Amino acid sequence: MYPPAISTEGLTRRFGQLTAVEDVNLRVAPGQFFGFLGPNGAGKSTTIKMLTGLLAPSAGRIEILGLDLVDNAIEVKRQIGVVPEGMALFGRLTGSEYLNFVGRMYGLDRETAAKRAAELLEFMQLADQPKKLVTDYSHGMQKKLALAAAVIHGPKILFLDEPFEGVDAIASGTLKAMLQRMISRGATIFLTSHVLEIVERLCSHLAIIHRGRLVAQGSLEELRAGVEAQAAATLATNEVAAGSTPGPGEKLTLEEIFLRIVGGTRPADQELSWLS
Amino acid sequence: MVELNITPEIRAQLAAVARVRWQLFVNSLRTIRGRLEFASHIFISIGFAIGGVGGLVACGAGAWYLVSHGKSEWLAAIFWPIFMFWQLFPVVATAFTENFDSSNLLRFPMGFPAFFMIRVVYGSLEPATALGSLWLLGIAVGIEIASPPLFLWSALVLFVFATLNILIARMIFSWVERWLAQRRTREILGVVFLLFMISFQLIGPMMNRYGNHSHPQALQFAHQILPFQRLLPPGLAATAISSVARLDFKFGVAALGMLCGYCLAIYWLLSIRLRAQFHGENLSEAAAPAISYKGSQIARPGWNLPGIPGSITAIFEKEIRYLSRSGPMLFTLIMPVFVLFIFRLTPSTSGKSSGSLLGRSSDMAFPVGAAYALLILTNLVYNSLGADGNGIQLFFTAPIRFRSVMLAKNFAHTGVLAFDIVLVWIGVCLLYQPPAAQIALATLAGIFFALPANLAVGNLLSISSPKKVDYGTFGRQRASNTTVFASFGVQIVVLGLAALTLLAARAYGKIWLATLIFIILAAIAWAAFSLVLNQVGKMAFGRREEIIAELTRAS
Repeated sequence: MYPPAISTEGLTRRFGQLTAVEDVNLRVAPGQFFGFLGPNGAGKSTTIKMLTGLLAPSAGRIEILGLDLVDNAIEVKRQIGVVPEGMALFGRLTGSEYLNFVGRMYGLDRETAAKRAAELLEFMQLADQPKKLVTDYSHGMQKKLALAAAVIHGPKILFLDEPFEGVDAIASGTLKAMLQRMISRGATIFLTSHVLEIVERLCSHLAIIHRGRLVAQGSLEELRAGVEAQAAATLATNEVAAGSTPGPGEKLTLEEIFLRIVGGTRPADQELSWLS
Repeated sequence: MVELNITPEIRAQLAAVARVRWQLFVNSLRTIRGRLEFASHIFISIGFAIGGVGGLVACGAGAWYLVSHGKSEWLAAIFWPIFMFWQLFPVVATAFTENFDSSNLLRFPMGFPAFFMIRVVYGSLEPATALGSLWLLGIAVGIEIASPPLFLWSALVLFVFATLNILIARMIFSWVERWLAQRRTREILGVVFLLFMISFQLIGPMMNRYGNHSHPQALQFAHQILPFQRLLPPGLAATAISSVARLDFKFGVAALGMLCGYCLAIYWLLSIRLRAQFHGENLSEAAAPAISYKGSQIARPGWNLPGIPGSITAIFEKEIRYLSRSGPMLFTLIMPVFVLFIFRLTPSTSGKSSGSLLGRSSDMAFPVGAAYALLILTNLVYNSLGADGNGIQLFFTAPIRFRSVMLAKNFAHTGVLAFDIVLVWIGVCLLYQPPAAQIALATLAGIFFALPANLAVGNLLSISSPKKVDYGTFGRQRASNTTVFASFGVQIVVLGLAALTLLAARAYGKIWLATLIFIILAAIAWAAFSLVLNQVGKMAFGRREEIIAELTRAS
């Protein structure tokens, strides 16, 4: 029996009076493509920062591949790859130098790091301008390079904070191809994203965080079943208008599931009346 | 040309910017670091205030003397230093300069006059403008006491002169900003600036050489350039005042007219830049043409340093590559050799008039050059994480201890210092004479003491007070106020102690004693360095949120 790839117990983070993440209990099995969703300011980035060691939890426990993150920080970091919010790039290196650098930081020898850097640059279609500094890359190129750097050491778990933000369709296709290849080889991927269509297409399991608390967790089907059951129950008590539940044979999309769980509607006609 | 009518709308926008700057300041005081920065700022401001008041009294007394003794044309001798200070200080002393970035104002419904005013007014809130204005005020007071009827006219001339200085400073910065926006021009500009700074360091020795009245050629040269300086702003301001003092109103008005002409010309140059910015000028780097390279060129392995772990070698390589791609930093690092060259220009033996330390004591050239090299290195050591930017996150997510990160950076900086000291040694051999073995040994022992002391303090300050920097730019602060303030203290203690030891040992003719003292001090300093290094991992881990927040924020 393998331990979960990622598990947290009572994970909490406070910033002064504000509790950004409260009592989050996550469980991600090995090999899952896990989407971590939530509205803006819900606590997604704070959670991923705590899972990757960029932020200390105020309370709770994190285990990665069965190892406690605090007690075994170096060992855990060897097994994970991270694309954090700011992409962690060194702007005044070339793409090749940067990948070589990251490879060696993760303990690869010079030759292996160089070989993998060249392969990754080819795969990511970044090989045609080897003299160009990272600072001069476009946003999409930087995202691709950050992902290449996160996988150069062959991590067992990949943490991605908004990997598709500001990325065009071509670059997005390259990123998705890379991620699917990793999943097919048994890696675990934990990503946050606002692009729900992509999450729906890629992720097998999801969790939704809202106002710092985990409000749903499971496979897409489990989440859909939960929402539909709740909708059916409220329909039975006539609280919900007809038409807000899917018809026979129709499936709720992830966006609809997400909106129902986090309650993303507001009576707009009563507000901002001064807007033309 | 812009109509600079201050309408109620412009006034409201100016007030809004003032309010937001005040709020930014108040918000910065919420953190301990912000409060420390403020305290350091107060200490630094006290230093400026002393200079400002001292200058005010000196300028006032000078103006009073010249006007009351009928030598008002010599006011140019006061205007020129003020003018040079006003324009050069913001460029040279970047530690105290913060170039106001107003680009995000463009999204507001703001007309060009308001944008222009905001750039000029808020961009001028810096020490050079404050001190320059204070000194001009001193001149006005001096003239008022010496010759009350001349006061109003002088006040008008001084006002125009101050306005011109403000406009020139803003004009220089706006054009420099344009050139700094692109990497290549940024680095070319960096080189030009450094050469400019170096050329100013040459003025002192040249004055020493040609300042002696026994040089008839120098006097002839001075007479030749005198009419030309009268056509430049400081000369015109002096002429405008002195002509009216001589009741030559026509000439005075003409001089003031020319000064106003300068104002309009500079205003025009400034408005070209600001108008381009106002219209949303895009200064992003142009995409380099795609060139196909062979795989072998891409797959070049990183450096190999025998006996050094791969991760530390990788950080060492990264640090050296960063430095090698920064024109400004490279030229900063060779400054010690230039300084030796400048000292060499001073007469080595011209009797009692020799004012140069190295002129009289060429055996001290190597210690002075080495000390200057160490001083220059503090640019890197005291904010060693500053250039990492977003990359800092990698050091916290990669399987490497922060102690190793700092050790690798210290290792790289030690390598740079070693390279610099070799350059200094070569420079001393070529410009003076090969340093005596005893002096060379004492100097190396002194460096062996001062280096770990600086590295230890540098590591602590790099973690406790990091500041995001770009090695390729000028005109932006390179370290936090706290770091600047702390580094003054450390240098006074470390270099002061080293200098005192060496000079005392030299005076008693026992240089070996200095070497011995330095070795004992070095043992203590290395022990302190080792203690600090063992703590930096814990410190950095505890402060990782603040470090990441500072270095990853948008500049």
